[in-house]
Amino acid sequence: MVDKNTNPAEPTASADQKSTLSRRQFLTGFGGVGVGIVLGGSLFQGFLMPDEVIAIPASNGYLLVDSKKCQGCNTCMMACSLTHHGVQSLSLSRIQMVQDPFAKFPDDRSVVQCRQCPSPSCVEACPTNAMHIDKKSGVRTVDSAKCVGCQACVNACPFDTTRAGWNFEEKHAQKCDLCLDTPFMDADGGPGGTQACVSVCPVGAITFTKEIPLQADKGYDVNLRDEGWAALGFATDDEGKVGPKAAPASAH
Amino acid sequence: MHRVLLFDSATWLVWLAPFVGVLAAGLTKRRDPAIEGDRVLRHDNAAIIEHWTHGIGTVVLLVSGIALGVWFLPALVGSGEPVGNMMDVHFGAVVVFLFGTFYYGANTLLAKKRLKEHLPTKDAVEFTKRHYGLLLGFKRFTMPPERKYFESEKMAYLLAVASTSVIILTGFLKIAAHAFNMPAAVMSVATPAHDIATVAMLAFFLAHVFFAAVLPMSWPVLRSMFTGYVDLDYAKHEHAGWLAELGYEEPEKTQLAEKTAA
Repeated sequence: MVDKNTNPAEPTASADQKSTLSRRQFLTGFGGVGVGIVLGGSLFQGFLMPDEVIAIPASNGYLLVDSKKCQGCNTCMMACSLTHHGVQSLSLSRIQMVQDPFAKFPDDRSVVQCRQCPSPSCVEACPTNAMHIDKKSGVRTVDSAKCVGCQACVNACPFDTTRAGWNFEEKHAQKCDLCLDTPFMDADGGPGGTQACVSVCPVGAITFTKEIPLQADKGYDVNLRDEGWAALGFATDDEGKVGPKAAPASAH
Repeated sequence: MHRVLLFDSATWLVWLAPFVGVLAAGLTKRRDPAIEGDRVLRHDNAAIIEHWTHGIGTVVLLVSGIALGVWFLPALVGSGEPVGNMMDVHFGAVVVFLFGTFYYGANTLLAKKRLKEHLPTKDAVEFTKRHYGLLLGFKRFTMPPERKYFESEKMAYLLAVASTSVIILTGFLKIAAHAFNMPAAVMSVATPAHDIATVAMLAFFLAHVFFAAVLPMSWPVLRSMFTGYVDLDYAKHEHAGWLAELGYEEPEKTQLAEKTAA
C-alpha cells in the first residue's frame, strides 16, 4: 500500500525529473507569454489603434418597383428563387411581395426589394465580411461560405420587411445581388446584365436603373403605369385621377 | 444601433483562454492516484477542474450549437434576438471549453503517463466484451482486471480527442473570421467540418453520460469526479489491474509473506 504522504507525481531527483521540470518551465513560460501577448495586443488595439476609415462605393444598379402596379402574382419571387437556387420557393426569394388584407386596391400590396443602400447597415453589421460590397459591380451581396449565421445583417437592415434575408435551408444570410450570382439563369446577371424579376414581371412593375434613387420610400417605389396599364382601364396616377386616355406613351 | 456579439466585442477572451489553461497547468502541482486506507484517490483537484470545465463547456456548446442549427438539422431558435442570445451563450461556453481542454492538454504534456492511461491496449476488444457481457448478464464472464479506465472508455477517448481537435481547429478558424478577412475556401471547409465533428462529439457525449452517470454501476466513479476518491472495495472489484499498478496486495497475502520471511 502506498503511504498517502508520499506523492509519486513529484518524484525525487532523477534524469526523468529534470526533463519534466524543463517541460514544465517551457509550458509555464509559453502560457505566460501568450497571456501577455493577448492582453497587450487587446489593449493596443482597443486604445492605441486609430479608427478604420472605409470608403463605400455606390452600387452600379438599383431595382425600382411600382407597388400599385403589382398584381401579386409572385412570379418575381419564383424567378428569383429559381435562378439563384434552382427551386421555386417563395421563402428563398430575395425579393418579397407583401400583401395587406386590410388595405384596398391598389394599396394592398407592396414589393420589397433590396435598395443597395449607399451606406449599407447590413455590410457594416456583418462580423466576418460575408456581407460585403462586390468590388467590380458595387452590389451589396453575401459570400455564403463566410457567413457564420449570426443574422446580424437581418437585424441591422433598417427596413421593414428586412431586405437581408435568411436561407433556412443552407443556414446563411442572402439578399438581392441584382442576379450577379445566378447559376440557374442562362443570361448574364448583375448591373450590366439581366435581372430575373425584371424580365419576368408580367405587368412591368419592376425595373432597373443605374441612377442612384432618391433615398426615401418614394425614391424606390416609382410610377411605372404606362399605356399598357391604361389600356386595362386603370388610372395611371397615384391619386387615380388620370384616366386611360391621358396615359404616358411609356413609363417602362 | 445593431447588437454587437460577444464573438466580436470580446474575441480576445477566446485567444486568452488557451494560454491561461497552459499557464495554469504549468503552475499546478498534481497528485498521482494513491491508496489511502479504505479509499483510493482517483482524481486530484486538477483532474476534476479539467473534467468539469471541459464537460460543462461541451454541454453548453452542444446545446447552443444545435439550437443555432448544426449541419443539416433545422435551427431551433428563430430569427433576431434569440440568435444573438444563443451566440453569446456559445461564446461563453467556448471560453470555458478552451480553458478546460488546454489545461488538460498541457497537463498531459507534462506527464505523458496520463495520456498513456487513456489509450486502448491490446486487451481493448476482449476486455470490452467481457465487461459488458458481465454487465448485461448474457455471458458468464469474470470481471477483467481493468486498469484505471475501462478499455471501452479508452476507445471512446480516441473519438473524443478526434472530435475535440476538429472542433477546436475549425472553431478557431470561424473565430478568426471575426478578426481577419478569411478566404471563403477555408471557411467553406471549416463550417461543415465543425458541424460534423459536433455530431461525433454528441454521439460520444450521449454514450459517456449514459455509461458514466446514468448506469448505477458508474455512480461510484461519478462521485469520485466530485470528491476525488473511490472506495477500495469498488476498486478491487472494478479496477483490479489499476490497484495492482498502485502496488495493492490483499492483507492475507501480505501477512503470509511477512510470516514466511520471519
